[in-house]
Amino acid sequence: MTALSRRHLGRWTLNAAAMLSFLYLSIPLIFVTWLSFYRQEIPSYPPEGYSLRWYSAAIANERFIDAFATSAKVGILATIIGLAVALPAALALNRYRFFGHAALGNLLLMPLIVPGIVLGFALYVFQVETEIATGLPIMGSFGGLVFGHVLLVIPWTVRLILASLAGFDRTLEEAAMNLGAGRLTTFRRVTMPSILPGIVAGALFGFVSSFGNLEMSLFLVAPGETTLPIAILQYLQWRIDPTIAAISVLQILIIAVALLVTDRFVKLSRVV
Amino acid sequence: MSSITLTERRKLRAQGLTASGLIGPATFIVALGVLGPLLLLARYSLNLYDPRELMISAFSAQNYIEFFSDTYYLSTFWTTIRISLLCTVICIVLGFPLAYVLARTQSRYKNLMIIGVVIPLFVGNAVRAAGWMTLLGSRGFLSVWLMRLGITDEPVEIMYSETAVVLGIVAVNLPYMVLTLQSVIESIGRHIEEAAFSLGAAPMVMFRRVLWPLALPGTTAGVILTFILAMNAYATPVLLGGPEFRMMSPMIYNQFQLNNWPFSAAVAFVLMASTLVLTVLAGIMTRQKFRD
Repeated sequence: MTALSRRHLGRWTLNAAAMLSFLYLSIPLIFVTWLSFYRQEIPSYPPEGYSLRWYSAAIANERFIDAFATSAKVGILATIIGLAVALPAALALNRYRFFGHAALGNLLLMPLIVPGIVLGFALYVFQVETEIATGLPIMGSFGGLVFGHVLLVIPWTVRLILASLAGFDRTLEEAAMNLGAGRLTTFRRVTMPSILPGIVAGALFGFVSSFGNLEMSLFLVAPGETTLPIAILQYLQWRIDPTIAAISVLQILIIAVALLVTDRFVKLSRVV
Repeated sequence: MSSITLTERRKLRAQGLTASGLIGPATFIVALGVLGPLLLLARYSLNLYDPRELMISAFSAQNYIEFFSDTYYLSTFWTTIRISLLCTVICIVLGFPLAYVLARTQSRYKNLMIIGVVIPLFVGNAVRAAGWMTLLGSRGFLSVWLMRLGITDEPVEIMYSETAVVLGIVAVNLPYMVLTLQSVIESIGRHIEEAAFSLGAAPMVMFRRVLWPLALPGTTAGVILTFILAMNAYATPVLLGGPEFRMMSPMIYNQFQLNNWPFSAAVAFVLMASTLVLTVLAGIMTRQKFRD
């Protein structure tokens, strides 16, 4: 065999292996989507036929609608608060050298490293102790849940805004200030627009990781209340049927749209 | 300090104030929400459990001793480590070809392919577990086809087994590995490969002697990330392993629900400490290998 044909064979094997991995990643999404169209309720193969009725069942399910609304509300609030504190933090990390610079940078990424279950548990006992000490109604409160989710948003937003600040040319700011713009105007009209992709990407990634969070929320929701991932988990522990599959597909669609939108601002291959 | 003038010192102090004003709120939130609670949890892990009083304040290593002297907890511990190692190895094997193709492709669909890798990453673990349940259940796709092809006579139940958990965790972690490896491979110039080929190296030889050694340091990052994620897995073992299957994260939650907070806290720290030790070891090992 010549070296060239060996390379062709190598190329071919490589592509086949890559396709296989890609397929493997897609398998769970393909099968859950398929199940959502089954006509019968029992998830046994082969399907007796196909139907869209589980989607209307999913949309009419109040438990899931409530859970969805909670997840969306928490996610949006946490993203806004997270962004509000992460943007200045990223600016400080990018512009100033100060004592403990590296340590603080690492601290802000810490919520991503601590296991979700441990973080949730730790926050829970912390809320218990704080409630005992202050008498404030913290446990199971909406505020407590949002606070936890802000922790999830901060690492993503800091990381992605820092990445876009690294590519920003600071002489542009000097030019603006030489032309008479104040600090605030310079920031609003020059800096902001050029780091906007990083801000948008950070916000969307932060939102998605809050929206999909399961482990931490398990500890922080009030008894009887759920977020969407918790509702899905609890349902699946009990049974699997096309209704839960339809709900899963709706979640996949929301996340796919969010990612496609993000991709328009920043190439995903560069930020993940 | 005497070498800088007073005005310079004032300027520095003003900068320091601005910087702390900017980074202060985020630092405060993370310190309050992560550091504080973790310290409190560490303190809890030294307390004792009592069925009636629930928690007795103490300063004892009893929970840790109990964990490491009971075969039930120890087997959970080893299962978690075994599964995490296995999943990480599978992730490298499955991830490398895909990462390589993604890194080197000139296709205009490259970005779409990357989105295809990222979407599963952000779709919750529970949703993906639902997909595996459809495929692997005793009356699911796989079982029915194995019977139709005459490979088995009876329905096969792959669900609620270690196999199902490994399949599920690998699918959860593979995107992280692929994306890490992709950026590593992209940073290695194509011309280096071409040089190896033009000197007559076969593809496998090029991979083994050129690409793999160059990619190794970056690969370590992916390995550590996927290993940590596997150690911490919760939803996948709960849903695909069933109630009888035990890993560390589900055990922490179960002990918490049984009201044994001190022990649960100790398990949490055993999990974090063992993950840390193993990842540091992995880092040292690759660095040594790299030096050779």
